[in-house]
Amino acid sequence: MMRSNIDPARGLGWGTFLAGFVPGLLQYQLGQKQRAAVALISCTALFFAGWVVVGERLFYWGLVEPAETGSAALRTAARFGLPLTLPELLNLPANALGAILAWDGSPSGERLWRLPRGLEHIAAFLTGASGMLAAFWSAAGHWDLRRLRDGGKDAPLAIANPALCAGLSWLVPGLGHARAGQKGKGLLMGTAVMVVFVMGLLFSHGHAVDRATASVWWIAQNLCGGGSLLAALFTGPLRMETAPANLDLGVILCTVAGLMNLVVMIDAFTVAERSVFPVKKAAEVAS
Amino acid sequence: MSLLFRIAVYVPVLFLIALVVVGQHHTTARDTVRAAVPRTLRWVFWSFALVVGMLLLEIVFIGW
Repeated sequence: MMRSNIDPARGLGWGTFLAGFVPGLLQYQLGQKQRAAVALISCTALFFAGWVVVGERLFYWGLVEPAETGSAALRTAARFGLPLTLPELLNLPANALGAILAWDGSPSGERLWRLPRGLEHIAAFLTGASGMLAAFWSAAGHWDLRRLRDGGKDAPLAIANPALCAGLSWLVPGLGHARAGQKGKGLLMGTAVMVVFVMGLLFSHGHAVDRATASVWWIAQNLCGGGSLLAALFTGPLRMETAPANLDLGVILCTVAGLMNLVVMIDAFTVAERSVFPVKKAAEVAS
Repeated sequence: MSLLFRIAVYVPVLFLIALVVVGQHHTTARDTVRAAVPRTLRWVFWSFALVVGMLLLEIVFIGW
C-alpha cells in the first residue's frame, strides 16, 4: 500500500514537526476538531493537575537552572517556559503558561524553587506525563498525515493506532506490542524492562527514581512511565536517612530501563505502522 | 567483592538489554531469545576487551 512516486523515508517537514509541540494542532489541521480539543484539554489538565503542587519548582528541575547569577538570555527564555524542563517542554503551551504564572525572578522566588513540597513526586509525574501525552498526540497526528501522504484517502487502517501502541508501552512496557498483535514478544521485552527497573529500585532501597535529587536522570527514567508512576507513588516519598551503598548502580539501572523502554515504544509504533506500510525487501527497492 | 557483585549484575542486565535491542528485528519471543544469546556473548567479549584496553592505557601512562 504505497504510492509509487513517494520516498517513504522522507519526513513530513519542519513545519509539521514544530506543530507537534502544540497538542491538537495537527489534528486540527487534519480536520479532526473533536480530537484536537480532547488533545489540548487532556494535556493541559494533566499539566496543571501537577503544576498546582510543584509550580515554580519546575525551574529547578530544568536541564539548565535559570539562576539570578546566570545569563540574561536564559532567564528571559525561562520566563516563557523554555529552560528545557523535560518532558514538560513537549507540551509547549501549558508549560509556557505555567512558567509565566510561576516566574518570580527575586532571590526569595529562587529559594522557593529549592523548597520540597508535599506530594511533589506524584505532581512531578503528572506534569511530566502531560509532556509524554503531548508527544503521543503528536505521533498520532504524524501517523495520520503520513498515512494520507503515502497511502491516499483509501489507505487501510493499521492493526492498531501506532501512537496508541507507543503510549500503552510507555505506561506498561510491552503492552503496545500485545495491542499490535505480538503478545509474546511484548511480554518478553516488557519483562526485560521492568526487571531492570525493579533491580534499580531494589539496589537503591527505592531512592533511585527521585526528581528532587536526580532530576536529569529522572528524564530518562520517566521513559518507563509505569515504573516511574510506581516510584512516584510508593518509593519516592520514602525518607533517605543515609545514602544506600549501591545508590549509583540503582540510578543507572533505572535510567537504562527507561532508555530500553524508549526502544520498546518505538518498536511498538513501528510494528503497528508496518501493518499498513510493510518494509520493502532490498530486491524490490533496487528494482 | 564489590567488583564481583557488579559483574554479577552487569552480565544479566546486558542480556536483558540485548533482548530489547534484537527484539526489533524479530516477531516472536523465541526468535528474540535465540538471537539475544550470541549478541550478549559478543557484548561481553567487547566489554572485556574495553576493560583490558583501559588497563593497558593505565599501565602505559600512569604505571603499575
